[in-house]
Amino acid sequence: MTPEEFLEIILTKFPNVEGEIRENKLPHPRKRVWINVERENFKDLMKLIKEIDPKAQFSIIIARDGGDYLEAKYHLELFYEQTPSISLIVGTKCPKDDPKLPTVTDVFPSALPYEREVQEFLGLFFEGIPDPRKLFLPEDFPEGVYPLRKDEKGISSGMVKNAGHPYKMKKEG
Amino acid sequence: MENRVEYWVKIPIGPIHPALEEPEKFIITLDGERIVNVDVKLGYNLRGVEWIGMRRNYIQILYLAERMCGICSFSHNYTYSRAVEEMAGIEVPERAEYIRVIVGELERIHSHLLNLGVVGHAIGYDTVLHLGWLARERVMDLLEAIGGNRVNYSMNTIGGVRRDIEEKHKRAILEMIKYYREKVMPKIEEIFLYDPTVEARLRDAGVIPKRIAIEYSAQGPTARGSGVEKDVRYNEQLGVYPDLGIKPVTPKEFTGVIKGDVFDRMVVRVGELWQSMELIERALDQMPEGKIKAFPKDNVTLVRLKKAEGEGVGRYEAPRGELIHYVMANPGSEIPERWKMREPTFPNLFAVARALVGEQLADVPVAIASIDPCLSCTDRVAVIDAKTGKKKVLTEKDLLKASIEKTREINPNIKAKPEPVGGSCGGVR
Repeated sequence: MTPEEFLEIILTKFPNVEGEIRENKLPHPRKRVWINVERENFKDLMKLIKEIDPKAQFSIIIARDGGDYLEAKYHLELFYEQTPSISLIVGTKCPKDDPKLPTVTDVFPSALPYEREVQEFLGLFFEGIPDPRKLFLPEDFPEGVYPLRKDEKGISSGMVKNAGHPYKMKKEG
Repeated sequence: MENRVEYWVKIPIGPIHPALEEPEKFIITLDGERIVNVDVKLGYNLRGVEWIGMRRNYIQILYLAERMCGICSFSHNYTYSRAVEEMAGIEVPERAEYIRVIVGELERIHSHLLNLGVVGHAIGYDTVLHLGWLARERVMDLLEAIGGNRVNYSMNTIGGVRRDIEEKHKRAILEMIKYYREKVMPKIEEIFLYDPTVEARLRDAGVIPKRIAIEYSAQGPTARGSGVEKDVRYNEQLGVYPDLGIKPVTPKEFTGVIKGDVFDRMVVRVGELWQSMELIERALDQMPEGKIKAFPKDNVTLVRLKKAEGEGVGRYEAPRGELIHYVMANPGSEIPERWKMREPTFPNLFAVARALVGEQLADVPVAIASIDPCLSCTDRVAVIDAKTGKKKVLTEKDLLKASIEKTREINPNIKAKPEPVGGSCGGVR
């Protein structure tokens, strides 16, 4: 299946979805499918992807603080046994006062550690996540502080001392 | 059933290990010798690289990315550069792509030799460790000659490479490949393909079936050892790799069967050593003349990147598996809006944690070492008896002893006649 055919299937099933194919300029041009979807349709879209390729590989969740919204992008690789495979990025958003997205762990079980990571670093919560414990941060990390947020819930300057400068830290004792 | 629960023992392995690039903790629940559950806790050495990266410019991040891992430093660098190049639409000269292939494959040889040695160490075959480390010196010296440093050689920059591969480097590389083909590879093949003790010890240890490898999206040699034919260099049509004839290596070509155990993962690594050498030779042969950088100076690159908008994804097959970097531009600023990366060990750890359920405790060091986070040098293990609450501390020595005892059990001859496999490997230094 080519990226164009794949995008057509998605766009016929979900007419509201924004999708495009971008190509880079490296020696062997590479096509990537970028999709933006509403929070309501997101879970159904992921289920459709799993139906199209049951072996689809879940690679990463890229979450980001975009001001008044939180954004999560999911990179997936489809048909990796054919070449070139389809590299797909599905993005979805949620407002900051309601930071919730549906979990995809029932569709892609390997998404669990990534969802736990996003929960603790950005305060973007996943409804129905089977294991909501912290993965990277220590258990006694202060509640309601999300290190990668850019607003007042992020790390304040009082919490950081000379980040990335061990030499200075040593000097001050 | 309640009686059984009383005998369950929880042992935390970790979090500090001298040979780990990222300390991690495995909490293993045992029923006698059998593992019932494995829980992973990460973040003991969380350096906040993403947070620091949101405060540095594109060029400074190159050096930060490189220092995330000592062994795949080139891989991180390359993947990040690719992400930025895709974001800004920068064209890389063809010669630079060939140099990237050569350095990347040299790094793969260096990483795989290290891992083969570490797995030998985990089963008590220390001669293998010394053979691997002795052979590794040669490729590290070569990387120093090309890049100026044994690790963190900073070969990459955005839009190309910083140093050229000259005629004398070319000769040294070809000489090194000849040395590996004649002196090192026969010994490594003898140990990892035909030695009955190694086969008995590594076969059926830490089995990851194909279904679980797909479900937990295992990467790199871990996935290929389970029969999943994926390799980012091949799937993604990465750089000039398609011109060099790249194909995923599976254990089927060497042994005829795929079981997905530690043995198969080692066979994949041996196969990839052969493949890397072939790729380097072809790349040296086909390398065209020309520029090695898209922009002459770093400040020119920064000015160009300041105007960029959009986002880019870089993917590369690091020695351990697929590496992903994502960069989002912040127009008008030389600092990216978002930089995010994923290391291959991350999914592999969860895949191996799932696969360890039902295995023996003595197989833990070798199974975890086989995915290459080097947990074989397990530091200290505290055994807490759930019944009495008593604590007993097992050191690295004790755990290795248990592992070596199992090897002796399988083959008692090994103690009487330790074959000096690395002994005649001289002529390196």
